[in-house]
Amino acid sequence: MTLSARDVFWGTSGRMIVDGVTLEAAPGKILGLIGPNGSGKSSLLRLLCRLRNVSSGVVELDGRDIGQVSRRELARRLAFVEQQATTEIQLCVCDVVRLGRTPHRSALASWSAADEQAVDAALARVGMSERHDQLWHTLSGGERQRVHIARALAQTPSELILDEPTNHLDIQHQLSILTLVRRLGVTCIVALHDLNLAALFCDEIALLHEGRLVASGTPETVLTEETIRRVFGVAVRIGATASGRRHIEYLVDPDCYGEAAP
Amino acid sequence: MSHHPVQPNWPARIGIAVAALAAPVFAIALAVTIGEMRIPLATAFQALGNGLFDLGYPVSAIQQGVIFDYRLSRALLAGLCGGALALSGAILQALLRNPLAEPYILGISAGASTGAVAVMILGFGGAALTVSGGAFLGSVAALLIVALLAAGAGGASDRVILAGVAGSQLFNAATATIVTTLASAEQARGVMFWLLGNFGGVRWPDVFVATPVALAGFAICMLHAKALDAFAFGADAAASLGVAVTRVRVVLFAVTAVMTATMVSIVGTIGFVGLVIPHAARFLVGPGHARLLPVCLVIGAIFMILADILSRILVPQQILPIGVVTALVGAPAFAIILYRARRPA
Repeated sequence: MTLSARDVFWGTSGRMIVDGVTLEAAPGKILGLIGPNGSGKSSLLRLLCRLRNVSSGVVELDGRDIGQVSRRELARRLAFVEQQATTEIQLCVCDVVRLGRTPHRSALASWSAADEQAVDAALARVGMSERHDQLWHTLSGGERQRVHIARALAQTPSELILDEPTNHLDIQHQLSILTLVRRLGVTCIVALHDLNLAALFCDEIALLHEGRLVASGTPETVLTEETIRRVFGVAVRIGATASGRRHIEYLVDPDCYGEAAP
Repeated sequence: MSHHPVQPNWPARIGIAVAALAAPVFAIALAVTIGEMRIPLATAFQALGNGLFDLGYPVSAIQQGVIFDYRLSRALLAGLCGGALALSGAILQALLRNPLAEPYILGISAGASTGAVAVMILGFGGAALTVSGGAFLGSVAALLIVALLAAGAGGASDRVILAGVAGSQLFNAATATIVTTLASAEQARGVMFWLLGNFGGVRWPDVFVATPVALAGFAICMLHAKALDAFAFGADAAASLGVAVTRVRVVLFAVTAVMTATMVSIVGTIGFVGLVIPHAARFLVGPGHARLLPVCLVIGAIFMILADILSRILVPQQILPIGVVTALVGAPAFAIILYRARRPA
């Protein structure tokens, strides 16, 4: 057991955003968090890495309440990749990845060989070693996301939390980022918008609706025609990919193609 | 934060440190020897020796006073002030993630001017309160109001800046009201001079106040250099890197506020340095705060000492307000830096 949430509630300005969620990430597996816009995915992720404090309930890391763990200790175990985080500061790729060593260094420590190794290894794992000295603002969206993941890996986490890492990326980069995440072998909790990507890459899926967990389990058990219609309000037909994974076909009103369409 | 060698190159580091210390000393030597009263170089150094080490050279009382009590204290304070303002600007730009952030963004200068005017014109506090004391109280009052506003608005960077704008406007309006309704022409001129910054009245006691404030402030900021780097991608990113965001923010806002309020209350509002020196320093050494902060301190100090020399000699028989000189000299210098460091489009 690694990271788990038990009966977690969190609200702001009188509205419950996360409404009694219980879930657990299996070690070394990828847990996908899906749900419509405003279903509380991002908020739940922020509670899981203690960027927000739960109103009630408990988030546990190896059975310890993360509210009792110092922020620095937590950051050595748990890394977070935000969606589309950027900066106006002139940083190069290695500067960004080096930030991942922050929780491992005391205020006066100088840069060590172990730090340098962690940075080099992280860059190699995301395939960006060649871009070591390139400026951040010259990177594409997909490359930036890779560097963020490298920064997270430089924290040497055992759990990685990613908030819609494929947002705004073209399909090639969406696939390559998620393939990369699958190969990391780290426990991941990843919020995703695209149901087919979730079905392709996640070992387990948790489906949120209006702050509540409405289904969780393998993609086969969660992604059903009935559940998707109920939560997302769209009609779908569930098929299978060549690799045996779930494939979701969206059924739209045939009239929208007009008279000319077959 | 550019490429760190794993083995620190100690001879190079020591060389840089020596140069960084020697440059302000050289600037101070210039400031002490240049001025309206022509004093031979040898006499100037004898006066310094008398003042610092009680060496007993035969120097006339007037020359001794000009060199040691007037020029040296003034140059030291200019250096401390320039360094502290540049340091504060660099910290606030990092914390607020805004390149336009500067030491006065939290209403400190507006509050200081209201406090100073309250003492100068309203006679606030009677004989017990000096203009500097009034300015310090005013800046603290403004800062508290801005802090309350910002906290009430949620504390996000943009809210802090807006709260600072609101607070500054409020206090500037109060200052303007007092000056326009109650001040004589002579008083208004005095206020104007104070607002633009003035090292004229500086004496040793001011240096003894400013030195510990600037040095302690610098030490605290250096302890937070790595945390400041982690703010590059925002407060949430910093928190997920293990930075205690709220504590770091509170400590550093307080440290910059105390440094700025101290300097403003002694010499008035000197603009430009706190905004521009951090950018110039970033062009030189990059954005990593472990290097940026000391470089800001040194460049800010040198810049302010040189600006003060210019303010004394640019117009014969007159002293220009230091704030005018920092902007007049600094703006074109910064334009050149910006142009040379432009990004390829």
